[in-house]
Order: sequence, then C-alpha cells, then structure tokens
Amino acid sequence: MKTILKTVDLKMTYQLGKVSVNALRGINLEVKEGEFVAIMGPSGCGKSTLLHILGAMLKPSSGQVLIDGEDISKMNEAARTEVRRRKIGFVFQKFNLFPTLTTEGNIKLAENIRRNGASKTSAKRDEILKLLNLEKRLHHKPIEMSGGEQQRVAIARALVSSPAIILADEPTGNLDSENSQIVLNMLQKLNQQLGQTIIMITHNSEAAAVAQQTVYMKDGQIVQ
Amino acid sequence: MMDNSLVATNVRQRPLRTLISVVGVALGVVLIVLVVGLSRGMLKEQGRRNSNVGAEIIFRRPGAVSFTSNFGLSLPIQYAQRLSTIEGIENVSPVGQYLKPSDQGFGAELIDGIEYESYAKVSNIRIVKGKSFSTGNEVIVDPTYVKNRKVKLGDSIELFGKKFTITGIYEPEIGSRIKMNLSLMQSILNAQDRATFVLVKCKTNFTEQNVAAEINQQLPGNQLLFVRDLQELYEKGSSALNTFLSVIIVISIVISTLVIMLAMYTTITERTREIGILKSLGAPKRFIIVTIEKEALLISLLGIVFGYVVALAGRFLITYYTPLFIDIETKWMLVAGLCGIVSGFFGALYPALRAANQDPIKAISYE
Repeated sequence: MKTILKTVDLKMTYQLGKVSVNALRGINLEVKEGEFVAIMGPSGCGKSTLLHILGAMLKPSSGQVLIDGEDISKMNEAARTEVRRRKIGFVFQKFNLFPTLTTEGNIKLAENIRRNGASKTSAKRDEILKLLNLEKRLHHKPIEMSGGEQQRVAIARALVSSPAIILADEPTGNLDSENSQIVLNMLQKLNQQLGQTIIMITHNSEAAAVAQQTVYMKDGQIVQ
Repeated sequence: MMDNSLVATNVRQRPLRTLISVVGVALGVVLIVLVVGLSRGMLKEQGRRNSNVGAEIIFRRPGAVSFTSNFGLSLPIQYAQRLSTIEGIENVSPVGQYLKPSDQGFGAELIDGIEYESYAKVSNIRIVKGKSFSTGNEVIVDPTYVKNRKVKLGDSIELFGKKFTITGIYEPEIGSRIKMNLSLMQSILNAQDRATFVLVKCKTNFTEQNVAAEINQQLPGNQLLFVRDLQELYEKGSSALNTFLSVIIVISIVISTLVIMLAMYTTITERTREIGILKSLGAPKRFIIVTIEKEALLISLLGIVFGYVVALAGRFLITYYTPLFIDIETKWMLVAGLCGIVSGFFGALYPALRAANQDPIKAISYE
C-alpha cells in the first residue's frame, strides 16, 4: 500500500522566554493509505503538537513531514494552508462547528473552501450524510443537536472533500460513553468502507481499540 | 467561491452589533444628505428669490469672494445716485442686507433694508395686505413667512434686539422674506448712507451687456452681476460652502468607518475560534478577508438604505415644520451611498487583515 504520511526525525522546540521546551524529539512515523492509527500518551507528551504539525497548522523546528508525497516541513504558511485545504480533514474534541450554520451550511462551507464541483460534492455529501445517519439533521443548527450528532457533522464536514487523511483530536473527549461508541463505530466504518486514512489522538484505550495500529508517545518520542 | 450563508447568518446572529453598525453608517449618510441638501436647498431657494427680483444687474463693491457671502453694508449709497445718471439705466434701488441667526434656533435669516418706492419700481413688489413700513420699527413680510411663523398683521417680531411690527404682506416672494426701511437699518447698524448692493433695471431698448459696459467705464473697479446668472451662482455655492461640505463628507466617512471598524473588530475578537475553524478547513487569507469585507459591505448597504429613509423622513419633517428648504439631489444621494460603501470597506479592512493573519492553533483554541 502507498505511504500517505511519513515523518522523518521530526523535532519541535518551543521557546518559552529563555527556556527551550522540546515538544517532539525526533518522531519517525509512517502511515499507509487506508490505515487507522491511534496515538496515545500522557498529557504533555507532544501528541497535540504532532497533530498540529501533521495537519500543516504548525511548522516543525526540523525534520520532514511528507503528506501524500509532499514535504510540508519547509513550506510557508500559504502553501501549508493549501495542503490543509486539499489533503487534511480535522475532527476536534469540541466539534468546532459554526454555531450559526445548519448541518448543511457547515458542510457546504467546507465544500466551498475546498472548491469542489457542485454536482460531485452534492452526491458525495448525500453519501456521507447517509453513512453518518445525518439525513434528518440537515437543517438543524449545532445547538439543536446532541454532542454525538454534532461530532458526526464534524466528521461529515471533514470527509466531504475526500481528504487524504483525517486527523481526529480526542473525538470522543466531549461525549458520553454511548455517543462515544457511536462516533468510534462511524470512524471505523469510514475506514473500512471508504478506505479513509485516519489518525486519531486519544487518552482512551477503548477508543484506541477501534484503530488498526496504536502508537504510544512519551516525552516527545514514540516509545512503542 | 465565498460563502454567503456565513455572511448572512453572522449579520442576523448579532442583531445589536448589526444595528449599531447600520446606525453608524446611516448617520454618515444622513449627515451628508441633509447637510448638503439643506445648504444647497437654502441657496437654491435664495437664488430663485433673488433672480426673480426684477432688476437685470446687481452692482456692488469689489472684494467679495462670491455673491452668497457678501452681507453687511459697505457700499456708499452715492453710487446709486451716480448709477441713475448712466445711459440705459431706467431705475436703481439700493439694498442693505443683514444676516441674523434664525430665531427658530436653526440656520440663519436674511433681512433686506430697502427704499420701498425705488425697490417697487425695480421689482414690481406690491403690498397685498396691510401697508408698507414707515421709518419706525416696522417690517413687511412675504406670505411664506406668515404661514411658517404663524404671524399676522400687527404682530411683533424681534430684530436687532428690538420689537418690530408687521405692517404689511408683500408679493411676489423675492429677496429676503423680511424687509424693512433701509435708513433704519443703516442707523441700527451704524452704517449711514451705505448699502450692500444696488439693483439696476435697464431700459427696454438697452441690453444688460451694453449697460454693464457703460457702468464699467464710468465706475470702474466694481463688481457687476447679471441677475439671470444668480440662480447658477447660488447653485454652485461659494468656495467656503463647498469646503464646508467637503469637511462634512470627510467627517461622515470617518464616523462611519470608525463605527464599522469598532463593530467588526469586536466581532472578529468574539469569532476568533470561528476564524480558527476556517483556517483548519484550509481557508486562505483571501477567503477570510473577503468574507469579513462582504459582511461589512452588507451592513453598509443596510446602513445606506436606512440612512436614505431617515434622510427623506427628516427632510419631510424639517420642511413641514420649519421654513427651511432641503434639496435632495440624486448626485448627493449617490455620494452619500458611496461614502457608506467606502466606510464599510475601509472600516472592515484592518479587522479582516488581523483575522486573516491569526495563528490557526491559537485561534482554534480560543475560549
């Protein structure tokens, strides 16, 4: 299978006043297309920093990040934004939906940003909405939906542009156990049925269990 | 493609912010439309009244920048006697003008000091009710003055700090609405034997150009205005007035721009997390800037429409309840609208640039 994401000796150092904090100390990670990878580790181990770098939101101090063959580690902000637009789909712990927009509005906004053809995206949107069981929530605003439904809308929004990778940051962190299970099942279904590559950060070992591979981090390094 | 639904819902979602911004833009539009309309309306009306005065030429001393700014008694009245001897001139009438603050608390009011007999010969003025003024504290007024001020013959009005009795109503409505004895005005203003200008009526078989040339030859160095040009002169306004109007336009743009800037800046701060979401979706800076600018321009358009409605309602009320004239021209409506658009664009520019340049991680983590 094709390698969709690869990091080579990835390092990230934050400068906090006169103190340097090494958030990542040489991460080497390889994810194949269609894989579902969970990243676990204690707070402060560098999981979020890694996710931000993989999502082209943050430039690493050194090392390489190859996404679908493109090295984003040396790119400027505009080029990284372009990569994010074309190849990355984010799912956040706090859903991060636009509160003023309906399910349809949130998804269409993502489509507009990603400039996909209307007919194609409409068919794709319908397929995703059906898959995520959101057809009846199309005209509801986030405030009118449960946390689980909101997270499914966030997943639909991430999926609609067919990203190379979905980066999920604690997607069940704000959900009760029932909704957590629904969301995890959805992610697993997307991975298995659509072959969607997913990298998920989680504290929850039950959540990590749905992934095909679990990576453990400690003190800015992959330990297992 | 930019997302219009996000723009529309943001405008609806924050009604107070939208209302304040709309009022801010509307304020600028109203300021321009009403102040320009009032200034130009009053001038046009004055121009119309003066151009119907019946004379062909206005003779006055040099030095005034424009006709509209020349008030006060500076012309020796001997000029009137001298003019009457020039060939081609049928009648002359010296007029004194005094500008006083309106007793309605808004604007100013012009008073004519005239010699009734000579003025009547030049202008065909006639008393339609009552009688002309005497040398005492008496005035004549026109029908519009009577209607607007709700006065009648025998009532008193205050001029120069004294009570004046209305003794007559004159027609046609020419020159100032209040006319009094020129000698009395000279005495009150301590300007004996002086006037503001002299109205010159030409004989029928003499053209005003020929008469003007003769006047220039015999009394060189003075200013001659053809009455037929007055309307246009008034409509152009004086350079001082045009400067004033420019200042009003600049002030209105500044007010509207500041209101939009403050409102958009506050909104952008409130929506930091949403900016972060857009960035996480891969929205380029241009998308964020254009989205915010579109929101500001939508607010500006609402403000412009609201401003037009308020300005038109204001004109109706002002002209209904006061003697003021407001001339709302399409050109100035468009200028006011353009100012609203410019304010919206530039007011939102800094907040939009600031939003577009936010760090995506900090923005999306904003609580």
